[in-house]
Amino acid sequence: MSRYLGWFFLAVVMLAASAPLQALQYEVGGCRTGSGYKNFTTISAAVAGVPAGVTILVCPGVYPEQVTITQPLTLKGIRSGNANRAVITFNPNGNQAPNVTSMLGPFYAQVLVQNVSPAGAVSIVGITVDGSGINLGSPPPYVAGIFYASGTSGTVNEVTARNQMNGGVGVWVENGSSTSDTLTIENNSVHNQGFGGIWANAATSSTLTATVSGNFLSNLSSGGAIELLIAANGEISGNVVTSSPYPTSSAIYADGSVVISGNLVADVNKGIGPTSGTTVKSNKLSNVRTAMALPSEDTGAITSNTIMNTVCAIDFFGGASSSGTMSGNVINDSQYGFAGWSGPTITGNAFYNIDTIQTTSIPCPGP
Amino acid sequence: MSRYFGWLFTMLVMLAVSAPLQALTYEVGGCKRGSGYVNFTTISAAVVGVPAGATIQVCPGVYPEQVTITQPLTLKGIASGNSNRAVITINPNGNLAPNVTSVIGEYLYAQVLVQNVNPPGPVNIIGITVDGTNGPQQGCTDASGFAGIFYASGTAGTVNEVTARNQIGGCGLGAGIWIENGAGPTQAITVENSSVRNMDGPGIHNVSDQTPATITATIKGNFMTSANSLAGNIEAVGVWVLGGAGTVANNFITGGSTGISNSGNIFGPCCAITVSGNVLADIPGTLGTAILYSPNGSTAQSNKISNVYTAFDLTGSATVKSNTSMNTAYGVLLRCSANTVSGNTLNDSTYGFYQALSLITGNANFNLDTIQAGSCP
Repeated sequence: MSRYLGWFFLAVVMLAASAPLQALQYEVGGCRTGSGYKNFTTISAAVAGVPAGVTILVCPGVYPEQVTITQPLTLKGIRSGNANRAVITFNPNGNQAPNVTSMLGPFYAQVLVQNVSPAGAVSIVGITVDGSGINLGSPPPYVAGIFYASGTSGTVNEVTARNQMNGGVGVWVENGSSTSDTLTIENNSVHNQGFGGIWANAATSSTLTATVSGNFLSNLSSGGAIELLIAANGEISGNVVTSSPYPTSSAIYADGSVVISGNLVADVNKGIGPTSGTTVKSNKLSNVRTAMALPSEDTGAITSNTIMNTVCAIDFFGGASSSGTMSGNVINDSQYGFAGWSGPTITGNAFYNIDTIQTTSIPCPGP
Repeated sequence: MSRYFGWLFTMLVMLAVSAPLQALTYEVGGCKRGSGYVNFTTISAAVVGVPAGATIQVCPGVYPEQVTITQPLTLKGIASGNSNRAVITINPNGNLAPNVTSVIGEYLYAQVLVQNVNPPGPVNIIGITVDGTNGPQQGCTDASGFAGIFYASGTAGTVNEVTARNQIGGCGLGAGIWIENGAGPTQAITVENSSVRNMDGPGIHNVSDQTPATITATIKGNFMTSANSLAGNIEAVGVWVLGGAGTVANNFITGGSTGISNSGNIFGPCCAITVSGNVLADIPGTLGTAILYSPNGSTAQSNKISNVYTAFDLTGSATVKSNTSMNTAYGVLLRCSANTVSGNTLNDSTYGFYQALSLITGNANFNLDTIQAGSCP
């Protein structure tokens, strides 16, 4: 019996000893207080004031701040009472100059992730970043709701990025460094951007693997909704992209060996713009002027997509004489099935209600 | 050796005997000719001139006709040369008066009318375009309407890989595909994989005036975009179930005033339907609703909704589960009625749940300005 008591005593001692080691919770906004919480009044103060690797809980409310994150952490919006929207907004009395130079040029980033030390993931979950009111002169610099600079990795999940007008992008991630960066951008609501929705850009000497999945994007008034540029690779899957009528950019665009699958694209001018080696499968496109805009060097596989209500279903723009695998696609209700195509007859796809199945002419605007 | 010649002779005789029994192929438009074909110059002539149950192949081309089908058959658009679009259009010299009365009393001009099918059997329409350009423009005060394809009471069949477009009758009077049934045995109709666009009324209308419903419709895999060209028009509904029953699955619906509506029948609440796997987007006007249910025990599951004003507008007894909604003013509007709402993901809404009878739990909520609001008496 004494042996059991000994075990029990030991367990109690262990519990007592571990209590002081219990992690504090870090909170912004004042909705959670008490001895277990360390409170901050601004997100900027919190991201600089917590230990590396912790989670910062952000209460519902409006935070007119420009936030720079330089250590690994998780920034997470929480519920309090009857709301769970923590909104980072533009501070009209704060900095109005670009705060980061991207591979594309100077950017004004509302949430900037850069120079993260020690190395580790920065995750942003359940936060709204609203760009309303940002108007930084003419010509304006680029604007990003969330910006992951070279050498950073992490996850953006269940975020809302909205109203980044005037050259704005909802989420911009890039890599021009020698590190291998991994970004997961999923389940976000991204809308009303002046330039683009979710863009990833990597220099050819860099490795950036981006997973862009389950996002819903709409009302992109200028550039593409989702773009993986240059050497960025990874996947674009299960996104819903609608209402982006800009004439020259594809709603979903990728350079290189990216898998574009299971996306739903409607009410845009150009649907999907793959390039050499891109896999495009099982996407659905509706009410799109050109569903797929292919460059001359395309060698990727385009399979099992369903396309309805287009002017040009698949446009090769006249440069191609051979293509990668093009099979199992279902095309219904298009003026042109394969446009700008000078190669041999393409078989293995199902056509319905196509005015002209295949033509060498280029009836739809170029890529 | 002579034995082999004997076999050869027998085979030749058999071939000669079987040739007259070989089924003829029925064709409209002249792109397929020869001894195996019976050719027609109009679809209207073909649908009355073939035996029951035959398939009529329709060559690419324009057919300015009003077509009435009264026997079981399959009407199928085919490819010829570099085209495979056979378009039934409005005949500018034809009669634009209504040719059918719906079970709900609406007088309709139907471009393709399926009715009084005898002998009983399915009428299938595959790979055909029905274009309503220059159809009867009735205006808002006229009780008559306009439909691209109309399956009248007592008819059944499948509409597959069709394009229905430009049925604009004025203030919501143009329907793409209208299927209905009144009193009598339940009918099964499938509308699938079709492109239905630019209507000011319902894209696909599933109608019955019986309780329980006498039509079971499977409406799946269609891509639909509404015109909703007239201000205040609330009848630009992608799939409008008015007293019918069945499923609405995996459709891709954008624009218009409502994505999918089950509004009960003309007498009131009626008839459960299952709505699953649909994608509904770009219905942002203040009347814009993705899924609208009257009290009827319907289920909405695993739908994706983006950029609409109200994701779900419920008036009771529906089950709403495992849907994902983003960028809305209202997530689920319950109108003080009892519904089951669980397992849904709502991101980016002004209101998550509005006018619920009790606290709604069991959903994943992100970026909601107000999670639950709206009082009930």
